[in-house]
Amino acid sequence: MREIVYVLGGGQTRFGELWESSLLGLIREAVDQAIGNTGILPTDIDAVVIGNMLGGEAAEQAHLGTLVSGLLPHHPPALRVEAACASGGLAIHTACAFLESGKAETVLVIGAEKLTDIPGDSVTGALMHAADAEKDAPSGLTFAGVFALTALSYMHTYAITRDDLSLVSFSSHRAAVSNPFAQFRREIPVETISKSPLIADPLRLLDCSPISDGAAAVILSTRRESPVRIAASQLASESLSLIDRPGITSFGSTRTAMSHALAEAGWDRNSIDCIELHDCFSVATLIHLEDLGYCEEGEAIRLFKQCDTESSGSLPVNVSGGLKACGHPIGATGVKQVLDCYKQLTKQAPNQVKGAARALAHNLGGVGATCTIHLLESSS
Amino acid sequence: MDRIPALHRRLKELERMNFQQGKILSFTTIRHPPAGFGPEPYIVALIEHPDGSKSLAQLTREGMPPTIGAEVIPHLRRIRTMRSGLHINDLKYEVMKTQAAPLFTMHAYVLALTGPSGVGKTTITRSLLSLFQPLVEQVPLVATRRPRKTDLEPFVHVSEDEFEAMVARGEIIAHTVFTDRHEYRAGYRREDIEAVWKQTKLPIVTTDLRLLEGLSKALGRETILSCGLLPPGTSRRRMLSALLHRLRSRGQNTEEQIELQLRSAEADLKAFSTKKDLFDHLFVNDRLETCVESIKELVVPQN
Repeated sequence: MREIVYVLGGGQTRFGELWESSLLGLIREAVDQAIGNTGILPTDIDAVVIGNMLGGEAAEQAHLGTLVSGLLPHHPPALRVEAACASGGLAIHTACAFLESGKAETVLVIGAEKLTDIPGDSVTGALMHAADAEKDAPSGLTFAGVFALTALSYMHTYAITRDDLSLVSFSSHRAAVSNPFAQFRREIPVETISKSPLIADPLRLLDCSPISDGAAAVILSTRRESPVRIAASQLASESLSLIDRPGITSFGSTRTAMSHALAEAGWDRNSIDCIELHDCFSVATLIHLEDLGYCEEGEAIRLFKQCDTESSGSLPVNVSGGLKACGHPIGATGVKQVLDCYKQLTKQAPNQVKGAARALAHNLGGVGATCTIHLLESSS
Repeated sequence: MDRIPALHRRLKELERMNFQQGKILSFTTIRHPPAGFGPEPYIVALIEHPDGSKSLAQLTREGMPPTIGAEVIPHLRRIRTMRSGLHINDLKYEVMKTQAAPLFTMHAYVLALTGPSGVGKTTITRSLLSLFQPLVEQVPLVATRRPRKTDLEPFVHVSEDEFEAMVARGEIIAHTVFTDRHEYRAGYRREDIEAVWKQTKLPIVTTDLRLLEGLSKALGRETILSCGLLPPGTSRRRMLSALLHRLRSRGQNTEEQIELQLRSAEADLKAFSTKKDLFDHLFVNDRLETCVESIKELVVPQN
């Protein structure tokens, strides 16, 4: 990082089917929380970046930057960024670029999505906009279907059984019990996950993160200090369509972003105390842990079998509950991950990792076509 | 949104396209189609063509059920109907041949069935063998007893000395002592398991606790998909009496032998709770079909 970028804090709405709230209502709630929790003056905000994927399709609202700017008394410059499910991570990355360049000294970053206003099959269709419209979508493939292709290939190559795969969702749901912001706060036994309805085989309902509404906001600053700073902010891409890749059981964008992020921060990956991972589908979690370099290909399931990923384990992963149990309001997720890392580093997390000083937020767009990685460090 | 000009471009593209056959790399059934594709589930596959290019396309309803590695040929078929009533055709592929499927590749595993004598290991193995005939194979047992007429399993007879030598050379990776009728040593050879893997099949072994422990030490615990089989019954006593009934009705053993087997069965049943980490799954074999069905689901996870 060219400048020291501090995370002042933030706030979020509950995630879930929030029929009472509009897109703007969700954004307003998250912004109010963020400004209230950090204690800054609204007029301290020099710029606003909002990450959102389907404002136009699902809420009939584009032009979100200016919409959000209107929530603040002084109408600061504002823009919307989009990278499918990585829109939130991209918003943080963009804000970092503003801060590092000196264009702004305090930036409000928002991630927001309102999906449940339109019917399920329309959401399914719209989510597919994250894939290649000419190569992937004409076949009638869905986004769960894309990950199902990956899952079948992964399970086939590495001999992963149904119950193995269920351990991943089991672990997220157990972690979310203590998280008041999570959409689903109860334990779900492995057998229930293994027998839940098929969505796109081999993926079942409880392998998939839910369709949710929600918003999250954080405030980043180079002017005001805080105990938590961003040590690295990286963005990486890979070909959009699965058919242009040599293999489908690993995502190059995660590998690139991770190696660049570790180099930028000057960290060893084993010095990281907790990870917020983009577990949009159970199989993705396994692939990400391998791509992040925490285990060899096909070995990630062992971490779950040994309970290493729990908050008291050697590699705490998604102790917030992840996308699976917290909900996945597309654009909000990447911002919420950074907020959860901030909570861990300031000892405010519901599932606190003891002595957490370094955290990683991994946000993914499409089938690993875009990846953002943020490394956060506490100075205390 | 129905984008008519986009459809026009796609039709032009199809006209220019060189229709290629291909092989399935992966596939899935879309149970919840997106808007515009109707309510019925359909299968979409990732297909690799001979020129190295890939495509994503639906499979036709006729043809064989898909497997990874299956060969497919292209057809132009209706893929959806627009809101205006216009039928849209696009490429769909028909599955022609599935034999080529290498179902278990390098990272192969071993299916181990463990349970007391009389619980139904042999019967379940045989029905798995007949269900997945080209995909699974039973690993021959190397033993120091003479072959019998009643032997159903593949079996290699060796002398006591040969057996000892094979253990010493590390060829036999797991061995135990069986006591049905009379005492003899038995074990599995690494080369036999690897031979099954080489044919890209799934090896099945029936084991007692010592064999299972030996195999997990030699091959790695995670290589073994370990299923414990319990006799029906709600308590250990009921389970044992169910076993007793089965052993007696076989009519192969004397009462003393049956008593010996029951005693080792009792130890086996205890191990299911004391050595939990050795087992991935426990099944009660009260009805053969449901038991086979559950194991089948583990082995073929997609459905």
